[in-house]
Amino acid sequence: MKILVPVKRVVDFNVKIRVKPDGSGVDLQNVKMSMNPFDEIAVEEALRLKEAGKAEEVVVVSIGPAKAEETLRTALAMGADRAILVETDDAVEPLAVAKILKAVGEAEQPGLILLGKQAIDDDCNQTGQMLAALLGWGQGTFASKVELASDAVTVTREVDGGLQTVSLRLPAVVTTDLRLNEPRYASLPNIMRAKKKPLDRRTPADFGVATAARLRILRTEEPARRMAGVKVGSVAELVDRLRTEAGVL
Amino acid sequence: MFVTETHEQVRDMARQFADEVIRPVAIDLDRDERFPGEIFEQMGDLGLFGIGVPEALGGPGFDTLAYALVMEELSRGYASVADQCGLVELISTLLVRHGTPEQQAQWLKPVMSARTKVAYCLTEAEAGSDLSGLRTTADRDGAGWKLNGGKIWIHNAPVADIGFVLARTDRNAGHRGMSIFIVDLNAKGVERGPKEHKMGQRASQVGALNFSDVTLPPEALLGEEGRGFHMMMSVLDKGRVGIGSLAVGIGQAGLEAALDYAQQRKQFNARIADFQGVQWLLADMAKDIEAARLLVQSAAVKIDRGENATKACSMAKCFAGDMAVARTADAVQIFGGSGYIRGFEVERLYRDAKITQIYEGTNQIQRMIIARELVKHGARG
Repeated sequence: MKILVPVKRVVDFNVKIRVKPDGSGVDLQNVKMSMNPFDEIAVEEALRLKEAGKAEEVVVVSIGPAKAEETLRTALAMGADRAILVETDDAVEPLAVAKILKAVGEAEQPGLILLGKQAIDDDCNQTGQMLAALLGWGQGTFASKVELASDAVTVTREVDGGLQTVSLRLPAVVTTDLRLNEPRYASLPNIMRAKKKPLDRRTPADFGVATAARLRILRTEEPARRMAGVKVGSVAELVDRLRTEAGVL
Repeated sequence: MFVTETHEQVRDMARQFADEVIRPVAIDLDRDERFPGEIFEQMGDLGLFGIGVPEALGGPGFDTLAYALVMEELSRGYASVADQCGLVELISTLLVRHGTPEQQAQWLKPVMSARTKVAYCLTEAEAGSDLSGLRTTADRDGAGWKLNGGKIWIHNAPVADIGFVLARTDRNAGHRGMSIFIVDLNAKGVERGPKEHKMGQRASQVGALNFSDVTLPPEALLGEEGRGFHMMMSVLDKGRVGIGSLAVGIGQAGLEAALDYAQQRKQFNARIADFQGVQWLLADMAKDIEAARLLVQSAAVKIDRGENATKACSMAKCFAGDMAVARTADAVQIFGGSGYIRGFEVERLYRDAKITQIYEGTNQIQRMIIARELVKHGARG
């Protein structure tokens, strides 16, 4: 079986985000970029399934600027077999991403598409669901456990109030949650090998997908600053203020 | 400036590993003087030992620049861990350049995996900066040799499985009468001295080794007989890039800690980072660290281009070592009394920095080399 893993290049999770002065978005100048952490978990899961003999090939795909090749090389260095870069400098919205991935999926015919439940930049949490709908495949989102059989996949999902287990007929789309696994470090020999692994360059036009924006961003702003705390003199005062000022008791 | 995307990948991986695995335990390792075998085995599995070993010999096949980047990041986590990486790099470089195919097949893999622990045995009581005082001897004994003598301050001596030992094979031939032997340190006649208790880099196990009539088989000889001194010296350029990087890593850790603290600590109703006296300390730390980093990287690139790198490597090691001592002292200063207390990172960094002016050739020896190269090749040479 082949597993397709879409990965996104995003601002590194350690970076302190700066909003552009005109509020049009986040400043990406001289900012460290990395693979979306949820996608890294998806790559790791695909590699584990391959190592367990449940899959033969792991193909990674990224839609983004030429620099997204770095993100794909990182996935290749973790152990993915080959990569597809769908190159575009446009900001591609979840629906366009899903349409491109649908076309890639139809060309590659994977048994399973594994991807992060959301990207940490825009937190849309839409691509996996839209992709499943466009392909007409089953979807298992927010996976904390994935068990793959030859014709079905069992997914344990993290839902409000507990865990839900679903069984999906293959092919299927599964989106990964934080607790699914801990991604490995890319070893130095694998970083070297990744340089020589095949990387196929395409454009959205190759798949007949227009990436023009359908959403309009009105404003981007920083979250309100946290107010300083208040020191209280006694438990009685604390209870009183929680009741009268905070209104939580 | 010299760093490619692949180098960045290597650096990022080493940085993440240092942040997640090394730095959180550095204070405990320092306090307990413990050999972190489990971290070394994990590093072996990730290809962080023997970085320059070619792919054809089972290594990752990276250049000296990649080695420098890894050393800085590991050292930012903890210098003793980086120093192990430097030690294995020297040993594996010797094996790659001078080992027979049989020696490479026997030793490279176990050494790179960190399952076989190695020691690089040069220093003796009478042979430090000046190796002409070397007294350890290996005399012909049938097809092999008999090894006699003593080494001191040998990194890994208390735990190593094999030693790469420099010994005289011809008492009358000076520097041309020394050879390197791969010695089984569990063999009869090998005696280990007690572990030394050091000022810094305390997780690095250091001690003496004594050899009395240790039988060496013919295959123990590394490379050509009589060329040992030159072989040991030939890897020192790379060694100095390694120690220079290690010093930069210590400095960087100090800057990060001091900058963080200066932005939190309040005196006179202001962050101490808002006082010019503290700002100048931080600025000097940052600029000297960057200068040392660029010197080290430029020396590494010279090695990779096959240029004469002797002066560049000595300058990089010397500058970086002096920088690390001076700038970790600044970090302690910014922490004030807290910086003098065990358990605060900067207190350890200051102690860890000192040896970088001493080992891999003292900084006085580095200045001799720089001056000698200047006289030989001129001011632009």
